[in-house]
Amino acid sequence: MAVKGLDIFKLSPKTNCKECGSPTCMAFCMKVAQGAVSIDKCPHMSDEAKALLSEATAPPMKTITVGAGDNAHKLGGETVLFRHEKTLVSRNLFAVPLCTCMDDAAVDAALAEMAKVDYERIGEREYVEMVLVHDEKGDGARLAALAQKVVAMGRVAIIDCENADVAKVAVEAVKDSKPILNGANAANYEAMNAVATAAGVTLGVKGASIEELHDTFAALEKAGNKNLVIDVTGKDAKETLANAVMVRRAALKDGDRTFGYPSIVNLTKVAPGDIHLQTAYAALFTVKYGSIIVMDKVSYAESLPLHGLRQNIYTDPQKPMKVAPGIYPMNGATADSPCMLTVDFALTYFLVSGEIERSKVPVNLLITDASGMSVLTAWAAGKFSSSSVKKFFDEFDLANKINSRTLVIPGKVAVMKGEIQDKLPEWNVVVGTREAVEIVKFLKDGEHEKAAAAVAATKTTTAPKKEEVNADAPLDFAKIAASIPKIEVVDMGVTYKTRNVESKKFVTIGERIHCISPVIREAMNTMNPEPILKRAAEQIAAGATYLDVNIGPAESNGPELMTWAVKLLQENFNNVPLALDTANKKAIEAGIAVYNRTNGKPIVNSADAGSRISNIDLAAANDAIVIALCSADGIAKDNEERMTHCHHMLDRGMALGMEADDLWFDPLFLVVKGMQDKQMDVLNAIKMFSDEGLKSTGGLSNNSNGAPKAIRPIMDSALVAMCMMQGLTSAIVNPCDLRLMETIKSCDIFKNNELYSDSYLEA
Amino acid sequence: MSFVPKKQAFNSKINAVTLGTGDKATVLGGQNVLPFYSFDAAIENKPKIGVEITDAGMELCTTPGMQEFYAGCTSVADMAKRVESMPGASFVCIHLEGADPNGENKSVEECVELCKSVAAATELPIVVMGCKNVDKDAELFSKVSEALAGKNILVLSAREENYKTVGASAGLAYGQKVGAESAVDINLAKQLNTVMTQLGVNAGSIVMNAGSAAAGYGYEYVASTLDRIKAAALQQGDAQLQMPIITPVSPDTWGVKESIMPEAEMPEWGNQEERGVEMEITTAAASLACGSDAVIMRHPAAVAAVSKMIDALI
Repeated sequence: MAVKGLDIFKLSPKTNCKECGSPTCMAFCMKVAQGAVSIDKCPHMSDEAKALLSEATAPPMKTITVGAGDNAHKLGGETVLFRHEKTLVSRNLFAVPLCTCMDDAAVDAALAEMAKVDYERIGEREYVEMVLVHDEKGDGARLAALAQKVVAMGRVAIIDCENADVAKVAVEAVKDSKPILNGANAANYEAMNAVATAAGVTLGVKGASIEELHDTFAALEKAGNKNLVIDVTGKDAKETLANAVMVRRAALKDGDRTFGYPSIVNLTKVAPGDIHLQTAYAALFTVKYGSIIVMDKVSYAESLPLHGLRQNIYTDPQKPMKVAPGIYPMNGATADSPCMLTVDFALTYFLVSGEIERSKVPVNLLITDASGMSVLTAWAAGKFSSSSVKKFFDEFDLANKINSRTLVIPGKVAVMKGEIQDKLPEWNVVVGTREAVEIVKFLKDGEHEKAAAAVAATKTTTAPKKEEVNADAPLDFAKIAASIPKIEVVDMGVTYKTRNVESKKFVTIGERIHCISPVIREAMNTMNPEPILKRAAEQIAAGATYLDVNIGPAESNGPELMTWAVKLLQENFNNVPLALDTANKKAIEAGIAVYNRTNGKPIVNSADAGSRISNIDLAAANDAIVIALCSADGIAKDNEERMTHCHHMLDRGMALGMEADDLWFDPLFLVVKGMQDKQMDVLNAIKMFSDEGLKSTGGLSNNSNGAPKAIRPIMDSALVAMCMMQGLTSAIVNPCDLRLMETIKSCDIFKNNELYSDSYLEA
Repeated sequence: MSFVPKKQAFNSKINAVTLGTGDKATVLGGQNVLPFYSFDAAIENKPKIGVEITDAGMELCTTPGMQEFYAGCTSVADMAKRVESMPGASFVCIHLEGADPNGENKSVEECVELCKSVAAATELPIVVMGCKNVDKDAELFSKVSEALAGKNILVLSAREENYKTVGASAGLAYGQKVGAESAVDINLAKQLNTVMTQLGVNAGSIVMNAGSAAAGYGYEYVASTLDRIKAAALQQGDAQLQMPIITPVSPDTWGVKESIMPEAEMPEWGNQEERGVEMEITTAAASLACGSDAVIMRHPAAVAAVSKMIDALI
């Protein structure tokens, strides 16, 4: 949690002695709060103040690790009360109980029962991570024997015992496995603390009331022990929930770090003998602040819903849930069953697999790695392409594992059919349904097999194999230039005014030439100049500085297509500067080879800090500008992460000899409908770029996606004004939005980037 | 320094909406604290459980526990009467699944007669759930609202596509309570409440269905939508989100593979009915913990567990 400058000022000597190098104590404290200088620069700050400050900047809730080696688990470390505020980080763990009052047969039976539940769910192992061993008779040897059995099974023991002498025997026996000793209270905490610290294990603390718990925690912290968990179990469910909530709220909302520890909730005490009621409570405490939940049993009946719920609740809201790529046989599919292909976004998987199950038709569902994006998003980002499909088929050895040659692809990417068919000539590629709900009818009617037969029939056995394109071969620019249609210069009634590349004016990048638009996609497919020139003319007339040219993944003819588009646009419009936008690097290289720089360097759209980082290298090698998305895989969770990505990419560009000005950082604009509470983060990120003297850009109009048409220009204009105030230097926008363009021009006046005259809007 | 718990009661509160009439009438909402936070301020009305029966009648009872509970019932009305004896049940939800034009396509008249027979059989408040076809639902809700005028029923639900028809008939013409359904989207939930009140439907007559899912099936979207609605309603005092929330749990939970896979096909998973019950309990408890003021459930054992939880916490 950030500490405010004024809070530090209250602790400062307030003498304005200037020994720290700052003119006043106030100025110094503000810098300390920003992390710009260390508090040690002040020779007169009291130790007490320094201690308070370090306490104030410590995380509000500690992360406690229990268990050792492969069986280590993290607990706590939360920074928010609700997952939508940021994310929850340490999923809760489940435990079942054992008691020294049980005989060996009962103990072994309970452990065997527990071990039955152990499976994988969307990339996570689901099982009972811990066992609570309860001391009933004061028998340390028996307690140790039970704990050892637990540890031998690879589970973490919670030694539940309030007698320090008895506890010590058990703790010492299994201390290397890092169990929890759950048994300190107001009366015995000194002795228990000695046992736990000597063995180096986490100490669980109980109390008759929340006030008593707090006092015991304060005392233990004072004694130097910060390896603690809170047993919030009260006399009944109501008190237990109150404790769990108040402890967490005190730590995260009210800054009371004494309560900044994970919790234990023992449902066997709250709802003894009633497994259904325990399940209800387990769901409640999974949502509300239980870190370890102890219940009588976790069979499949309890595990399937509770582990599923936990997995959902602890999903990072900004990172999509992914399914592991692979072959998923459904409805008893065999090697002879047809294949259906989709992406690894968990929601897509659930929808598609659910519908296939309902159809009862045996199908091998193929899940490919698409970075957890949905079908269309992944396609547009180049993560779901004929190459990625080919790679998947090779990696999973589909040709040998599956005998059927029917391959159904999602209807939304029907455009990929030809390319996939070329790369997988043995297969009969069929376009499936656009929506999952149509799958049942599609499969039941046997549409897939009919279509596959039709594809097979069109194939001639002597069809010449297409020449394999070597993706790494250097481009032959002359050959490419010769292969494209001749460029005709057409008078569109618009000219691009020669631009001063040094100008400080806001740079608009027109986004209207994008292959997600059906008109443009068709024009690109056939290299038909007219629709493209029309959109270019509109955008230039409306005052666009740059034009973005998105040719899609363009796997088969990227270099030719980009060469054609660049020449077409620049020869028709006085060398209008362009942003080259595609996942195909060879296409960008080819485009730059014919690019004229009179009105500005080409822009490579785009690199990120993850799998697309090498686009920075591409820009550096070609003296181009690069749009650098401050994300790796998924949206950055906060500005700390955004800036880490920013600096990482800046370093890389500079090391390759780029000017800092040629990296334009994109904070990633987010949709208001859905991420309203993150908008200020984006604005603050722009300020951070600006404060470091960096340029910035981004798809600003994404903010109003899904909003009514009439409202979008209003939202976009308001946001661009706020962004320009924060220091945004460019944006990818629709220049035909008059209100937006007028707002930008007006802001350029206020920013003194353009000299005012009554007709500044017409310029 | 001893610990002084800070109370977090809000100045705003959730609307209290009454369903049904007479002694068995039940109230949803009314609290000014987060779900079950009775330590912050007293919660006057407990969250409620409604029991789902469908127009298919006993055909729904595929598990021994359900068959035992409804044993001897020969009609949907019998089943509605039987629900009165289920501990924890506050209202009956008659789900008109069979009205779906893409399914059995039962006529509106047939459905209206069925609802009348249910209303005649039980004193419990009645919630009528449609078949999800927006046109058919609009017609159903209009005719059922007319036939059950004065019973103060709730129709589930008006949606973006048909709120004008449903709001005007059920809400305005016949004075019933109207559900406003959006698919886990807080912005759409607010928009729907706004346009319904602009239409003239009293805000106090609206109950939200903000979307649902079974635990493990994208439930994080449901949880966060409910969390955010309660935060907006209570913290920001957003009157357009202060309607109580009703969440149908059973239609989702009894459709997922955990609940329907027979034990014979998945022996290691164990008893099928028990899996379905625990799935229903988990999902209902999570929904209530995140902000539902009422849940719609099916299995007597699941209803028993969740109602015990509600009673213990408030």
